Amino acid sequence: MTGFDAVVIGAGVLGAATALDLAESGLSVLVLERGAPNREGSGTTAGNLHIQAVHTRRPGQAVPLDSQALLPAQKASGQLWAEAEERLDADLEVRRNGGFMVAETPGQCAELRTKHLWEEQSGLRTEVLDGDAAREALPLLGPTVEAATWCSDDGYANPLKVAPAYLAAARRNAAQVRAFTPVTGLQRRGARWRVETPAGHYDTPVVINVAGPWIGDVCAMAGLRLRMSPVAIQMHATVRERPLLHHLVQHIGEGMSVKQVTSGNLLIGGGWPARRMEQEGRSHASSRSLTGNVAQAARILPVLSGLRLLRMWAGPLAATPDEMPLIGAVPGAPGFYVAGGTYAFTFAPLWGETLGRLIREEQPRVDVSPFSPDRLTETGRASLTPTRKGVTPC
Amino acid sequence: MTQPTTIRTADAAVVGAGPAGLAAALELGLAGLRVLLLDEQSAPGGQYYRSPGPEAVREVGDHRPAGARLIARVRACGVRVLSGHTVWGVEDDRRGLLAAGPDGDPVIVRADRIVVATGAYERSVPFPGWQLPGVVTPGLAQHMCAEGVRLGRSAVVAGSGPFLLPVACALLERGVRVLAVAEAGRPYTPRPAALGALRFPARLVELASYTARLARHGVRLHQDTVVAEASGRERVREVTLVRRSDPRRVVGRHGADVLCVGYGFRPQSDLAQLLGCDMGRDPATGDPVPLLGAAGRSSVPWVHVVGEAAGVAGAPTALLRGRAAAFDILAARGRTVGRRSRRAVTARLASLARFNGLTSRLYPDPARLTAELAAGLPGDTLVCRCEGVTADTLRSAACLPGGSDVPALKGSTRAGMGPCQSRECGPALDALRGRGTGAGAVPARVPLRPVPLSTVLHLRAFGEET
Ligand SMILES: Cc1cc2nc3c(=O)[nH]c(=O)nc-3n(C[C@H](O)[C@H](O)[C@H](O)COP(=O)(O)OP(=O)(O)OC[C@H]3O[C@@H](n4cnc5c(N)ncnc54)[C@H](O)[C@@H]3O)c2cc1C
Ligand SMILES: Cc1cc2nc3c(=O)[nH]c(=O)nc-3n(C[C@H](O)[C@H](O)[C@H](O)COP(=O)(O)OP(=O)(O)OC[C@H]3O[C@@H](n4cnc5c(N)ncnc54)[C@H](O)[C@@H]3O)c2cc1C
Repeated sequence: MTGFDAVVIGAGVLGAATALDLAESGLSVLVLERGAPNREGSGTTAGNLHIQAVHTRRPGQAVPLDSQALLPAQKASGQLWAEAEERLDADLEVRRNGGFMVAETPGQCAELRTKHLWEEQSGLRTEVLDGDAAREALPLLGPTVEAATWCSDDGYANPLKVAPAYLAAARRNAAQVRAFTPVTGLQRRGARWRVETPAGHYDTPVVINVAGPWIGDVCAMAGLRLRMSPVAIQMHATVRERPLLHHLVQHIGEGMSVKQVTSGNLLIGGGWPARRMEQEGRSHASSRSLTGNVAQAARILPVLSGLRLLRMWAGPLAATPDEMPLIGAVPGAPGFYVAGGTYAFTFAPLWGETLGRLIREEQPRVDVSPFSPDRLTETGRASLTPTRKGVTPC
Repeated sequence: MTQPTTIRTADAAVVGAGPAGLAAALELGLAGLRVLLLDEQSAPGGQYYRSPGPEAVREVGDHRPAGARLIARVRACGVRVLSGHTVWGVEDDRRGLLAAGPDGDPVIVRADRIVVATGAYERSVPFPGWQLPGVVTPGLAQHMCAEGVRLGRSAVVAGSGPFLLPVACALLERGVRVLAVAEAGRPYTPRPAALGALRFPARLVELASYTARLARHGVRLHQDTVVAEASGRERVREVTLVRRSDPRRVVGRHGADVLCVGYGFRPQSDLAQLLGCDMGRDPATGDPVPLLGAAGRSSVPWVHVVGEAAGVAGAPTALLRGRAAAFDILAARGRTVGRRSRRAVTARLASLARFNGLTSRLYPDPARLTAELAAGLPGDTLVCRCEGVTADTLRSAACLPGGSDVPALKGSTRAGMGPCQSRECGPALDALRGRGTGAGAVPARVPLRPVPLSTVLHLRAFGEET
C-alpha cells in the first residue's frame, strides 16, 4: 500500500503518541523513522513529568521562556499521565511522588513566589517552603537552599518504555512503523503530499512532522522555512543505589534535575549543554559540562558527591528561538502539521491528542494557538509575540 | 576526600602498561622524550606480564621474568609510570586525558602524542548457568593460578582458542583436577590449513608440550564440543558438554566446581573511540576496531593505537606494535631511528601476522560461533547478567521496528546498561539483534569505568581556575 490517511515523520515520543491517537480514530497511519525508534530526544531524555511551572532559563539559554503560558498544558498533561499506563496497557514506570523546585538567591526566591501565584491561578496546587522547611521535608537538601516549591504531581516516567508502548499500542491499532526509513523528500501533488524515502514513496493528505531536532530540515524538504534552534544537552547516571531519593528535585535558575529512578540509578540532568548538536550522526556529551552539571547538583544534594558516575550521554532537543513549544498546522501548507520543542516528553500525551484533534478539526483540550508555528515562519516573523517579562532570571 | 586536580604534561602519554604500552614507552623514553605511562592496575605488566604478588613469586616463582626485566628498563629510562591510574574520559578537545588516581584523585594528562595500548577484554558467550559463582574466564583463572590460588577441586575448561591449553595446564599445576578440555572448533585434527604452521616450529613445540602434559594427566581434549549448561545452587556443581555440530548429543556431564570458559579476546578500543579515531568492524570477530594506517597511526593525528587494542594478535605482536608506533612518533619529531631496527620490526610483524592468520584459520570465527551459540540458547538464559535480561526478551525486542540495532535493543530491554556496560554481553547482543540495518555495538561513552563523582567535582575546581 502506498497511500495512507496520515504519515508521521519521526518515531520519537510525539510521533508515537500521535500515531496512536490517529490510528485509534480509524485512520490508516504510517510512521517513518530515519533510525531506530526512540533513539533521539525521546530515548535520551530525563523523562521528568514537569507539572509545576518550570525554570525559565538554563545556562546558555538565550532568552527566558514564558513559563506562565505553559501552565494550562502542564495541568492537562498531569491528568493525561495519570491515565497513560491504563490507556497503553503497559508499565511505564510512571512515578508521581512529587517534586521540589529549589532556589538559592533572593532573586530566585522571588521567582518561586511569583510562580506559585500563577500556579494557584491555574488551579495547580503547589506550596512554598523556606530553606529549613524544605530541608525538613527533604533532609538531603544542602545548606544553600533558601526556598523551594513543592508540587505533589511532579514525577517521571521511564522514557525507554513510553514511546515504545505508544508505538506498540499504535501498531495494535493497525498503524505501520518503518524503522531505518528516512524521509528524503516531500512534494505537494494536488490535494496530497508525496512522501519520498529510499524505499519508495507514499501519498497522503496529512503529514505530521515530529522529527524533533530535524523539524526544520523536514520542513525544508517541503519548501517551508521554520526557524528552529536545535541544541544538545546531556544526562548523567550514577551506579545503582539503595533507595535514597523519592522525589524529583529541580532548580529554578539552573536547569538542573535529579531523581532516583526505578532501577536504582540516580539521574542527573543539567543545563550545561553537550558538546554540540550534531545534525548528522550523534551528539557527544561534554566533559566540561559534566563537571558543571555535577557541581550544581552536588551543591543542592551533597549526598551525590559520595556516589559513582556510571555513564553519561547527550540528547538532541528541538528548541525554538523563543524556547516555547511548537504545535499546529504550518501556514500555507495544507495538511502539514508540526509539533516539538520544549518539554515535549511531559506534553507527549497531550500533544498526541491535540494533533489528532486538530487534524480531525475538533476542539483541543487546551488552547494551543500561542504555540502555533506561525511565529516561526518567515511571514509570521513580524507577529512573533515578545516573551512576557514577568519572570526575569537573575 | 580527594585532592585537587593534578595536571601532568608530557611529550607522550601511553595508556596501558601491557607489552604494547611498555614497549612503546621504552623506545620513547630511551629517545629522551618525557613519557607518562598510565595503567589502572596496581602494577605494570598488563595481561601477559602481570607480575604475581611478592609472596606468590617466592612460593611459585614468576612465570614470565622477561616482563620484570622490561618493566625495570622502562623505569630506568625515565618513563614516569603511573599505576593505579584509570583513564575514564577525555577532555572536550579530545587531547587531554581524564584519569582517576589510586584514591580517586583527579589527574588530567596533556601530551603531544597519545598511544592507546589498552589491550583486550575476554570474549564471553552466554549459556545457562554462566552467572553461577565458580564460572570464570581463562584470563582470571590464569592470574589466580599465577598468584598461587587453587580455584577449586575439579574444573572443566571450555571455549575456543589456543590459550585454553596453557590455562588447563596452569590449573593442573595448582592441584586442580581438570576433568575435560572442550574446544568448539576442530583445530587439533591435522588439516591442510594447519600445515603452514610447520614454518613456525617454536610455536608447534609449545602447543605440543601443552597437549603432552594434558595427556600425561589423563585430561580428555574434546573437539567440536561446547558447554550446554552449568548447574548448581550456590555454585557450579555440574557442567554439561555437548557436540557443537549436534547439540542433542551429550559429550559428558562432569561434577566440577570450576568452569573456566572463554572464546578469546576483543579489542578494548573504547578509549580510541572517545579520542575520535575512525572505527571499523573486524569481519571475523564482529568487534569494533580502530581503522589504522602504518605503525598504528589512527585517523586522529596525535593518536596511535597499539597492541590488542588495535586487533587481537598475541603478546609478541603487541610488543612489536608498541615499538613500531614509538619509532613512527620519533620519526615524526625528526629523530633518526635506525632504519635497520625499523625494518626488522616491520618484517617480524609481517611474519607474525602470517602465523596469526594460520592459527585463526584453525579456530572458528568468533562472530559466527557466537551467532550460532546465541541462536541455540534456551529462552530463559540470562544474556545480560547485570540487568537480568533473558534471550527470549531480546528475541522479541529484535522483532520490533528498530530491533536490528544494538543500541535500540539496549534501550528497549536494558541489556548492557549495568556495571559492565555490555562488555560481557556485547557479542551476544550483536548476535541476537534482528536482521537489517543497525549498529552491532553501542558507542563508547564517558566514563570508561564508573568514576567517583567526587573526582568529577574536583575537576571542576580546576576548570574554574583557568
Ligand atoms: C537530555 C534531555 C533531557 C530532557 N529532559 C526532559 C524532561 O525531563 N522532561 C520533558 O518533558 N522533556 C525533556 N526533554 C525534552 C523531550 O524529551 C524531547 O523534546 C522529546 O522527547 C522529543 O520528542 P520528539 O518525538 O519530538 O523528538 P525525538 O524523540 O527527537 O524524535 C524525532 C525523531 O525523528 C526522526 N527523524 C528525523 N529526521 C527524520 C527524517 N528525515 N525521516 C524520518 N525520521 C526522521 C529522528 O530520527 C527521531 O527519532 C529532554 C530532552 C533531552 C535531550
Ligand atoms: C589467559 C591468557 C593467556 C594468554 N596466553 C598467551 C600466550 O601464551 N601467548 C601470547 O602471545 N599471548 C597470550 N595471551 C595474550 C596476551 O596477554 C596479550 O596478547 C597481551 O597481553 C597484549 O598486550 P597489550 O599490551 O596489548 O595489552 P594488555 O596486556 O592487556 O595491557 C593493557 C593494559 O591496559 C590497561 N588499561 C586498559 N584500559 C585502561 C584505562 N582506561 N585506563 C588505564 N589503564 C587501562 C589494562 O589494565 C592493562 O594493564 C594470553 C592472555 C590471557 C588472558
